[in-house]
Amino acid sequence: MTAGPLSLTVNGRSRRLEAVPYSERLLDTLRLRLGLKGTKEGCRSGGCGACSVLVDDRSTLSCLTLAHEVEGSSVTTIEGVAEDPVGARVRDAFEAAGAVQCGYCTPGFVMALTGLLKEEGRSRPFSELLEDLGGNLCRCTGYAAIVRAAAALREGDE
Amino acid sequence: MTAVPLRPDLALKLGGRAIYGIDFELPGMLYGALVPAPIAHGRLTSVDLSAARERPGVVAISADDVSGLTGGHTGDAERPLFARETVVYRHQPVAAVAAPTLAEARAAAASVRVVVEPLPVVSDLEAAFPEWPGSDAAASPRVAAHVHARRGDVDRAFRDAEKVVSETYRTGSVHQVALEPHASVAEVTGDRYTVHTTTQSPFGVREDVASLLGLPEESIVVDGTWVGGGFGGKGASFLEAYALLLARASGRPVRLALSYREEFLLGRTTLPAVVRFETGVTGGRIVARRVRLLLDVGTSLPGRDFATGYSIGFLLGPYTAPAFEVEGYAVRTNKPAFGPHRAPFAPQCAFMVESHLEHVAREVGRDPVAFRRDHLWREGMATPFGQTVGPFGLPSALDSAAELAARWRRDRPEGHGVGIGVGFWSTGTGAGGEARLRLSPETLTILQGEREIGSGSVLVGLAAVAERRSGLPRGRIRVEYADTAHAPYDAGVFGSRTVGALGRAVDDALVRLLATLAERGGATAPLSLAEEGGEIVVRGASGTTPVRALLTAEELAGGGLAAEGKHYGRSGSIDESLVLDGTFYPYTDFTGAAHVAEVDVDRETGSVRLVRYAAFQDVGTVIDGPAARAQVEGAVAMGLGAALTEEAIWSEDGRLLNAGLVDYRIPTITEVPPLDVTFVEGFLGAGPFGAKGLGEPPIIPVPAAVASAVRDATGAHVTELPLTPERVARALKPNEP
Amino acid sequence: MPEFELVTPATPDEAIATLRASAPGDVAVLAGGTDLAGDLDQGRVAPRRVLSLRRLPWRTLDWNGESLTIGSTLPLRTLELDADLARRLPGLYAAVRAVGSVTVRHRATIGGNLGRAAPASDLVPMLLALDAEVELLGPDGLRTITVDRLVRASRETALGPAELIRAVRIPEARPSAYLWQRVRPFHDISHMAVAVAFSPSRRSWRVAVAGFPPRPLLVPEAESALAGTRPDLVSVERAAEAVGRHAPIVADRRASEEYRRRLVRPLLRRAVAAAGGGGA
Repeated sequence: MTAGPLSLTVNGRSRRLEAVPYSERLLDTLRLRLGLKGTKEGCRSGGCGACSVLVDDRSTLSCLTLAHEVEGSSVTTIEGVAEDPVGARVRDAFEAAGAVQCGYCTPGFVMALTGLLKEEGRSRPFSELLEDLGGNLCRCTGYAAIVRAAAALREGDE
Repeated sequence: MTAVPLRPDLALKLGGRAIYGIDFELPGMLYGALVPAPIAHGRLTSVDLSAARERPGVVAISADDVSGLTGGHTGDAERPLFARETVVYRHQPVAAVAAPTLAEARAAAASVRVVVEPLPVVSDLEAAFPEWPGSDAAASPRVAAHVHARRGDVDRAFRDAEKVVSETYRTGSVHQVALEPHASVAEVTGDRYTVHTTTQSPFGVREDVASLLGLPEESIVVDGTWVGGGFGGKGASFLEAYALLLARASGRPVRLALSYREEFLLGRTTLPAVVRFETGVTGGRIVARRVRLLLDVGTSLPGRDFATGYSIGFLLGPYTAPAFEVEGYAVRTNKPAFGPHRAPFAPQCAFMVESHLEHVAREVGRDPVAFRRDHLWREGMATPFGQTVGPFGLPSALDSAAELAARWRRDRPEGHGVGIGVGFWSTGTGAGGEARLRLSPETLTILQGEREIGSGSVLVGLAAVAERRSGLPRGRIRVEYADTAHAPYDAGVFGSRTVGALGRAVDDALVRLLATLAERGGATAPLSLAEEGGEIVVRGASGTTPVRALLTAEELAGGGLAAEGKHYGRSGSIDESLVLDGTFYPYTDFTGAAHVAEVDVDRETGSVRLVRYAAFQDVGTVIDGPAARAQVEGAVAMGLGAALTEEAIWSEDGRLLNAGLVDYRIPTITEVPPLDVTFVEGFLGAGPFGAKGLGEPPIIPVPAAVASAVRDATGAHVTELPLTPERVARALKPNEP
Repeated sequence: MPEFELVTPATPDEAIATLRASAPGDVAVLAGGTDLAGDLDQGRVAPRRVLSLRRLPWRTLDWNGESLTIGSTLPLRTLELDADLARRLPGLYAAVRAVGSVTVRHRATIGGNLGRAAPASDLVPMLLALDAEVELLGPDGLRTITVDRLVRASRETALGPAELIRAVRIPEARPSAYLWQRVRPFHDISHMAVAVAFSPSRRSWRVAVAGFPPRPLLVPEAESALAGTRPDLVSVERAAEAVGRHAPIVADRRASEEYRRRLVRPLLRRAVAAAGGGGA
């Protein structure tokens, strides 16, 4: 048996998928099986962060994650981010700061930042928050507007 | 009210609803894969497709099939789609397959038996020419292009100079690294070839594909998807022709996409270079210059002489040269071809010439900034090639940069260094474009043929031009895209030309449209448009009239009043009598920037940290503030990568050793410093309202500014890009305080 | 990518039994999977069966007085965010933060990092300097070995064919530091790294170096040069010389031997200072 059923909650909706190969990456389950193409396929090897999603509120590279390994988990993608109160704030901050150009890194960035802001212990310095975004690459914005978005969110927390 | 940047694509992209090339699907589509050459150079003795073709649902094609699939045309002989007889770089496509799934396509590609008898591989530029090539080298098969020009008695000028400073510089290969990989979905119905593709230039792809496949342009439709970054890498056709051939062979739609590893392995980009400078100085002024260039052009594609004949001007820099000689060789190696990359090779050229001139200034005891200023072009002067310099904001930018640098230098902590870099560019307003407008009572629609690649030049820039010309708020202006069968022609998003050239076409159309309204309203121009009571109105000297009242019933029913505009720019000219060999190119307009970098250099490890950065950028006229600023921010970060961390590394046998995003290091969010952007306005360019392009120019001075700051901090004079910690450490004398 | 069967045992015994029932090479152990995924994609491994550890009760973190036991499948990010880690084991905190990115560390585990013996591991040198021990569970029960004995070379460990890493045990809180040199400060691979720790119980320093093949290693000769809680600059200098003499530093495409050797002194001096050893 190289495939099996898989149950997940995706953007708040429980999904049961049949005969999902065990080798399948969460990225492909989301994009190809569920049609959630907002999660982007970049390097597919953990180097760019474009495929970041939340798995039980933790930012996760969907390209390196076997879908069956998150069986039973709750997955949030960019399509569902507005349903999450923190995610909605991050989305709005990106829009207000104009932190989007080509948009290809954007879903991953929004998910990664949402994950960080949802972690407990927000007293970490801002520089550490930026270090924690080091795995999400952007080639268009020079990160300046993304830093502005993150700073605006941080101010909103205090 | 705060200024909210109006980008109509933000909501779509932040909702995950933008469909990029790799997201595009057609029912029943197959998946394609390319079959790579296993070594970098050799005689291709056999491509056996039989094992692949035996697999269920698989089609496979190679060089032998091309003419059969396109009605006897063999395509563009200079740019064979598939290797035939010889392979000239590793991973060069020798065949392509399509199968019902991607996994099956990859397995089928792996089953193709390719036999290549090895030939000697030349992957390194300096291995190709261990000695600097002599005049006979121009005829060598290794040399893809040779350019040579001279003004005055250069030898004598050097003999007479008080001091001659000679240096050699080396620069590495950098990749575009758009995060979205190339992807094309093709379908062929009868004689109609349609491809949905992620591209900077739908019309350029149409032209390319027609040439590659030997088909008339009218039979090809190119539909651009959303583009996940271009930076030059999506400027020409790439996968489209293969996808179309596979679709033709299979009778099904086919998607062909590159893995990110293939992006690196097949990417056409900036390749290494070696440059020798000689500069003669008398009385603190330059009297003679000689610049010699060896530029790696890989397997070389048409356009190679452009790479040499255009870039060599950037090695002279925006500086005068009473007597000069330039000579450049485009050298073939067993790598993928040289290709466009955000101001191709110009950041490297600026690094080299700026570092060299700074070195010359120090050698002759002059202040590097004053030395630059004394030789800098100013409006009305002639370039070394005899072209008259147009409105040029660089001198003013350099003055501001010098003032700021002096301030930063006064304030800097121990160990920090402050440097200045200068770069000039000519934005590509020479390429043509057309636009169609339609004014309804509710909306002004701009129909055009460029896809937004992220910079905002299409969706923001064109709308801003229309807003500025008509007065109509941008909320009432819609920029629409259509495929090559439905949109008016435009050359594409490259050469920083969208606002400058296509913007002129939009402006031209809008001026006509306003003139028509004036005629109908009996008013005299200038008219403006405004929003009133939820509708568009025309305002003139004689009052305000609703647009609705000025349109015919037919226009009201048909979407509005139409107008067309076009812009085909012209370049200046150079003094051709200076040219001894090859082609040199004039500039269209003159733009540039002076940047200031403050760095903190770790003298023991060689690590360079950017502390702060400022850009003074000639822009002619700012058309949209936030979008303009965003271009500078993005370009500076990209330039920092070229300055400090990015370098593609090839082995002697032609393998790319760091084909991934951990080992090929673009900047992360932690490395980019606080950035001040100041636009230098008023030196008007060829674009609408005097705008100059902004996509490329801000990247050019960055490596030069960083290297200058590193030298200021430590005395380390690094003559090779990128300035990795190891290179900086090596340039520092050990135990230097 | 080849297809495989996925086995997700709920108990350690079942997991060991699965390993025993499989020929080596037929089975791959999956912890966080962030490293294995690349091997699967590149075809470097083609297992018929993948043994996932995710249901095993090993996602644990226990401070017992001054000693810390980390369950092998605990995500590194969870370890990193532990309220006491940065204070009690600052070197380990720094080393964990040097691994990949947050999105990697949410899945990557300490057991996976050790078990796969990645040549450029940032954790191994720090665990060496902390005298970490590894609990291995196999068909014959539990055994404990040092990290030094577990990690033999790049991609090579002393794990038996049916053994799993159950936990990593750090005997005591130590003033410690982990410093690395890279081209890009984050999201890169360290091409030279130094881990130091001062053992209050043994009143001596531990020094490990890493970033070059084949594996991170302790340099006892450097340790003996560092006398006392606050070694002076002369002894730090002697320790750096000892590293240069005894560590088999070599070149690869990430850095030359000369440059790596040059980095030893500043990294060691700064690490000792960061670990509270004065100097620098």
